[in-house]
Amino acid sequence: MTAGAETITPEPRWRKLLASLTPDRRRVLYAFGAAALVFAVGELLHPGFGSTASIKAILVIASFVGFVAAGQTLVILVGGIDLSVPWVLNGAAILLVTSSLGRDGRAAQAVLLTLALGLLTGLVNGLGIAYLAVPAVVMTLGMNGIMEGLTLGVSKGLTCGSCASYAPKAVQDVVRSNVLGVPADLFLWLAVAVAMTFLLSATTFGRRIYAIGNNNTAAFLAGINVRLMTVVLYMLSGLFAALGGIVLVAYGGQATLGMGDPYLFQSIAAAVIGGVSILGGRGHYLGTLAGSITLVALVSVLLAENMPDWGRSVVYGGAILVILLAYGRERQQL
Amino acid sequence: MRALLDASFSADFGEVHALVGENGAGKSTMIKILSGLLRPDAGTLRVRGSQVDFRSPHVARALGVGTVFQELTLMPSLTVAENLFLRNEPQGRARLIRRRELAPRAREVFARLGINGIDPDELPPALSLAHRQVIEIARALLRDPEILFLDEPTSALAEQEVEWLFRLVRDLREQGKCVIFTSHRWGEVADLADRITIFRNGEHVATRRQLTEGEAVTLMTGRTIDRMYPERPPLAHDAPVVLEVRDLRGEQMKGISFALRRGEILGVGGLAGQGQRDLFMTLFGARKLAGGELRINGQAQRIRKPSDAIRLRMGIALVPEDRKTEGLMLPMSVRDNLTLAVLGRVAFGGVLKRSTEQAYVRRAVQRLHIRTTRPSVQEMATLSGGNQQKVLIGRWLLAESDILLFYDITRGVDVGTKHDIYELMMELVAEGKSLLFYSSETEEVARLCHRVLVMREGRVAAELTGPSTDAEAIVAASVREDAA
Amino acid sequence: MTSVTQVPPYRSRTRFQHFTIQSAPLLLALIILAGMTGLYVGLFYRQLSRFPGNFELTSVVNTSMPLVFAAVGQSIVVLTRGLDLSVGGMIDLTNSLAATHMHAGAGSMLVWSLLVLLVGAAGGAINGVLVAYGRLQPILVTLATLSIYQGLAIKTLPAPGGSVPLEYTKILANPNDPTGLGFVALIVVIWLVFRRTRLGVDIFAIGNDEEAARAHGVRVRATKIGAYVLSGTFAAAGGLFLAATTTSGDATSGDVFVLTSIAAVVLGGISFFGGRGSAIGTVAGAFILTLLINVLFFASIDPLYQSFFQGLFLVVAILLGTLIRRLVGMRG
Repeated sequence: MTAGAETITPEPRWRKLLASLTPDRRRVLYAFGAAALVFAVGELLHPGFGSTASIKAILVIASFVGFVAAGQTLVILVGGIDLSVPWVLNGAAILLVTSSLGRDGRAAQAVLLTLALGLLTGLVNGLGIAYLAVPAVVMTLGMNGIMEGLTLGVSKGLTCGSCASYAPKAVQDVVRSNVLGVPADLFLWLAVAVAMTFLLSATTFGRRIYAIGNNNTAAFLAGINVRLMTVVLYMLSGLFAALGGIVLVAYGGQATLGMGDPYLFQSIAAAVIGGVSILGGRGHYLGTLAGSITLVALVSVLLAENMPDWGRSVVYGGAILVILLAYGRERQQL
Repeated sequence: MRALLDASFSADFGEVHALVGENGAGKSTMIKILSGLLRPDAGTLRVRGSQVDFRSPHVARALGVGTVFQELTLMPSLTVAENLFLRNEPQGRARLIRRRELAPRAREVFARLGINGIDPDELPPALSLAHRQVIEIARALLRDPEILFLDEPTSALAEQEVEWLFRLVRDLREQGKCVIFTSHRWGEVADLADRITIFRNGEHVATRRQLTEGEAVTLMTGRTIDRMYPERPPLAHDAPVVLEVRDLRGEQMKGISFALRRGEILGVGGLAGQGQRDLFMTLFGARKLAGGELRINGQAQRIRKPSDAIRLRMGIALVPEDRKTEGLMLPMSVRDNLTLAVLGRVAFGGVLKRSTEQAYVRRAVQRLHIRTTRPSVQEMATLSGGNQQKVLIGRWLLAESDILLFYDITRGVDVGTKHDIYELMMELVAEGKSLLFYSSETEEVARLCHRVLVMREGRVAAELTGPSTDAEAIVAASVREDAA
Repeated sequence: MTSVTQVPPYRSRTRFQHFTIQSAPLLLALIILAGMTGLYVGLFYRQLSRFPGNFELTSVVNTSMPLVFAAVGQSIVVLTRGLDLSVGGMIDLTNSLAATHMHAGAGSMLVWSLLVLLVGAAGGAINGVLVAYGRLQPILVTLATLSIYQGLAIKTLPAPGGSVPLEYTKILANPNDPTGLGFVALIVVIWLVFRRTRLGVDIFAIGNDEEAARAHGVRVRATKIGAYVLSGTFAAAGGLFLAATTTSGDATSGDVFVLTSIAAVVLGGISFFGGRGSAIGTVAGAFILTLLINVLFFASIDPLYQSFFQGLFLVVAILLGTLIRRLVGMRG
């Protein structure tokens, strides 16, 4: 019987490259391809859609989805889901404006406090799911309700004195100013993308995430602390939802009620389009990133088409189904 | 990765036909195809001379096939009666099921078949493995099948229960039915079968009416029995005790005590479901210990989770029974699976070091002769069963654990790989490691181990050493009514 | 004939004990319902110095009916280990259809009721086919179809309006007497019959162990489609009741049912792992949720905090359920 690891003659580079294109990596490429396709179609229907200015605008909006979807991706990778995103985001946005009162001097504290809120809600989610065996759907659903109630109650329905404050200028600048002609927010997104990719592909933490997502019993029997990692991942999801809230309110200026609602569907859809399996264990953040862009570009095309509200919903849902059928199908029995 | 390459055989009505072969020879796959659960890639199936296509289990049943699978299929949230009559319920008006009749009818059926002590309103998880096996058999018989498949029907059954089953099977033969069964116990095969078909590595090798055990083994393995098993390194008289347990108690353990010495292969035998799994999982920290003491190298230890067991200075490793559900991450690469337990060692500050990882992977692949072209990328799912098992063992070799718990590791593995695994075991103990070994094939336990603990009902019923550790003695100790 | 031996120690239980243990989640739901009712009655009395009467009972029943239907449909899908997020969109759609097309007159009411139910069945069939034959995950399919049905609802009724004939309201959501309880009784009967049908048993089997069910000849794909068709139909019925209760239409009033139907299923003791539970518990769960809102009202709790208590209640209820299951020795 021959040992298998090495061949005598060195392999041609292109062969190696082709072999490293696992199905998961291919899906990331498809997701980027889908984004490019949407831009192309948009340009055809509306010349100017594919202009630099237009692309930049779409990318900025996509980044909002991208931030929230980062946390969602982590949680989905281990076979969970975070349905508390809408009101963690909303609560975070309101907390930012009310604790900073629009003043730059309090910006740093406000941001830290807000991120801490995200971590805290994630902690509660994680503890319930990992240690008390509450199904993720139920726990995060309940958490969403809890956050909604707390946010509405404490802010008195957003009628409290400080609720109409704006986000501090410093924070607004991070999102809205331009650096070298590119919105600063996109640099932030790039940083997140790099960090996520590094975390998932190059660290032991990332390796463990995939192990848990693929087979959490086997991961446990290999010595991985599945529960602890689950809690940490939900905390990160909460963190990213809070980050999404900060960035959104910085972009829009003021907080509104219900601003987080669209991000639940979009964060999940972005991940799935990007090739992240809802069952866990497969996918990369780069795919989610591409998925966010595809999604937002799709909505923009529909808006540009002056499609009525109802038409957009139908096309949206239909498009998701088509993409799912294309490559979201689960394997037959192994 | 084919399970069956060229498998043909035929069985007659009014006959009891045995399918024998080692783990991984293709018997279970054959039975799954013949029950409509799997579709064959090629080949034909004929029943009573006319060709049939078992498109689904539904179709197979309609054509008179009944099966008792090796993996029990009782629904955990349905009562025994509901399970018994699943898809076969007594119906009343408008084809509605008469639920009130389920339990009484179940009692009738049990009485008719000579089964007592099973409460029809109980849920399966509360029952012993033996009882569950009995219920599955009863369920298959209810449909009055023309052709009955029994895949390892006696693995959990004690002597009396086995006799009961044999009586039933013989009755079926008198009635002109065809019964095809598989078993690892040669005694049963010789006793019950009219004809014996031998499979090896997915192929049909022979069909005979008469066969001695030696002939059978040679046909099953392609080697004579002496060549199959390597020589055991002798155990030093003064070998220190590395693992000692006293009065271990758990969900199914009722007080187990034994000592494992350095360089020893200690076997665990007995019928299936007597607490062996509980023992292995608890030693590894995967299950809670309810009572008792554990000492490693004389020092008392508390192992509450697997990482505790792994991180001990001596290091305990568990290679579990079902590699698909408990061991491997099939969509991940060979490399990822191999280094999973030693991630700390192939990284610096949490960041993976590719070169170190490659070196580790190469080490494991070479030592175990794992057939893989590109371990960093090749998905586990594409490896053969034998190679998959090697990767799982490789994971623990890399962890350099000194105490290895091997639980039924030759399941679904081809003959060649088995031989490699046996040789590896001998190498490991020669290096000073210690092994606790459980297998569903009693022959393996007998041939490979220095000593054998036979478990029954959560206790050690007998301890066999030296010349008395042969398969027959182990089986005898397993089924004997009175515990030693 | 040799008999199979009994493996000691064997704990034997009476039929009654078995029933109690196996129905523990349902019993818990009924106990919580009783408790919530008691709480409601107590707070009501404290606030208004009288006990709730016919009017209050009628109001509670009518308000609960849409959720009862939506949640029962959801239960059937959850039993197969799936999830139906599109119930919200289906209720939006059917509510809108009823409010725009139903006219006074027995003919119109009957025909449109049937048509609406058919729409629900069709929507469910789409979900079912995508899950069973498309092999897509239920959460994703129904998330997408939710969006589609919501869009169709807005197309049907772009702004809240339309009307539902008075006679219809009298039949389904009688404002004077709790005749809705008759429909509840009907659902209970339907459930008991359902449990005795081939489809019902197969649904439980799939939820327990899909592969084993297949090995026993269950037609897994057809059964799954059946489950989603039932869910869609029940959701459509929920939409009709909503139209009857509110006497008009609103294309977004069904959205909230996505979460509340899941909450009712959880409270009713149906396991998210599938294969276990009773829709009767879900009916109790729906009433519990409606009563909870009333309890919060009469406890003078700021209505803005309503979601907080609903969420908290949901989590506590499922923890309680898990605890009970562990105590009686069932799998979580």
